[in-house]
Amino acid sequence: MGSEPVAALQRPAPALPPKPRAHAWAWAAAVAAFLLAITWHLGINFSALASGLGDIAEYIHRYSTPNFTDWSRYLALMGVTLATALWGTVIAAGLAFVLAPLAARNFSPHPAVYRGAREALNFMRAMPDLVLALMFVAAIGLGPFPGALALGVHSAGFLGKFLAECMERVDKGTCEGVASTGAGFAQRLAFVAWPSILREGFGYLLFILDRNVRMASVLGMVGAGGIGLELYNSLRIFNYDQSAAMILVILATLLMIDHAASWLRRRLE
Amino acid sequence: MRLQSAKWRWPSPSGLPPARLVGGLLALLLVLWLTAPLVELNLPRLASSSGRFLRFASQLAEMPDWGYLPQLLSKLIETMEMTVLGTFIAIVFSLPLGILAASNTSPHPWACRLTRDLLSLMRAMPELVWALIFVSAVGLGPLAGTMALAWVTVGFLGKIFAEAIEVVSPRALEGVRAHGAGRIQTLQFAVLPQALPDLVGTVAYILDHNLRSATILGLVGAGGIGYDLVMSMRMFQYGRLVMIMAAIYLIVTALDRGSDRLRGQVIYGQ
Repeated sequence: MGSEPVAALQRPAPALPPKPRAHAWAWAAAVAAFLLAITWHLGINFSALASGLGDIAEYIHRYSTPNFTDWSRYLALMGVTLATALWGTVIAAGLAFVLAPLAARNFSPHPAVYRGAREALNFMRAMPDLVLALMFVAAIGLGPFPGALALGVHSAGFLGKFLAECMERVDKGTCEGVASTGAGFAQRLAFVAWPSILREGFGYLLFILDRNVRMASVLGMVGAGGIGLELYNSLRIFNYDQSAAMILVILATLLMIDHAASWLRRRLE
Repeated sequence: MRLQSAKWRWPSPSGLPPARLVGGLLALLLVLWLTAPLVELNLPRLASSSGRFLRFASQLAEMPDWGYLPQLLSKLIETMEMTVLGTFIAIVFSLPLGILAASNTSPHPWACRLTRDLLSLMRAMPELVWALIFVSAVGLGPLAGTMALAWVTVGFLGKIFAEAIEVVSPRALEGVRAHGAGRIQTLQFAVLPQALPDLVGTVAYILDHNLRSATILGLVGAGGIGYDLVMSMRMFQYGRLVMIMAAIYLIVTALDRGSDRLRGQVIYGQ
């Protein structure tokens, strides 16, 4: 009994497990090599970029004298852009209101409906809103409304997916409780799905509105009206003073909306 | 009959929807009605254009132009390369900016405020506007697109990184500091390991977002598939258009699913 520990002590120490190797440097080198290959393949020349920094500074300097003589028109155009974003968001909310419950696994009436709604949302997300705007402009004609439609369809893909994921996280007990009273599909939506995700859903709606305001200022480039069209035209004829004024108007509006959205979000929480 | 009507009562004592909801909906309707002239909503024209839309859609049902395939693939690869490069450059720049903008790791409250404002300026305008500006500054090609992507992404990533760092548990920071760790060592051993899952999840989301943006940057000549997309639409080459749209749909869907799965694994450990 006494000799056992001694024997254990005399036994040669077991071989140590291999020392863990830090592969961080190897990974960093591999990533760097990959990025260099991409840079070479794209034909980007960063040394030329570095030597051209002076040119860029000179170019940006051309925007230093914004010309606000037409400010009332810019504000009106910005109003059109904001209205486009609002309409787009309302269209998105309407589409998502219909599609989200169908695309939530626990509320969907049938697995086939679930698959179909998922794929529909996925397709709406996959089409860039500028491409949709180009198509709607071709079909309906120039003007802000095709832009609003494009924004609505594209962002409904996102909003519907977010809302459906929220609904899938709804507590199972609540669903079963209401279903056990004999509630049908519409009643389960009215009394379980929407009330439980109201707060979260509102946050997502704000996010979509925020995003649509940003995108609406670009849609003008494909003929969908608003301040984007004016900006595109004045940039194309190298009218730096007016472009700078419009960029400032867009920036100021977007910053205000950013602050308003974060204030609203804080109030929601 | 009474049972039928009782079924559709609002779940409130009075059986009526709350005044706030009704008021909100009425206000929204009023705003929509007021802004309808601004967006030039014209229902008769909309109804009459549905025929034109169907004709446009039927034109899309054309045989794909297979001869275009090699160029399509090279443009797709260019788009993805721009996405990866722009995102990586953005990560490199936004990590220090995020650390500066997080209130618990910022060296000074003023640095925090200033960095936050800078980041929100950077992300205020969409990639396409910056791409227009960069195209005028550095010329046509993928460089301008990559710069525009990286610029806007720094604005988004910096903010999200800062938020991920702010929710790091202060105990770990204290513990590491109590061992005499300096600023860099605190970041390396307490802040970054805790924030890492959030950061990886965010990068997956941003990659997805940037790929979507990169597909349209070509519209202003900033490289990628967008130029071919617009040109085939303007020149009525619907055989090409169908292929481009199918290709965009496929890669965006693939990345969408991949990033969902990665985020699920990293954030929720599923």
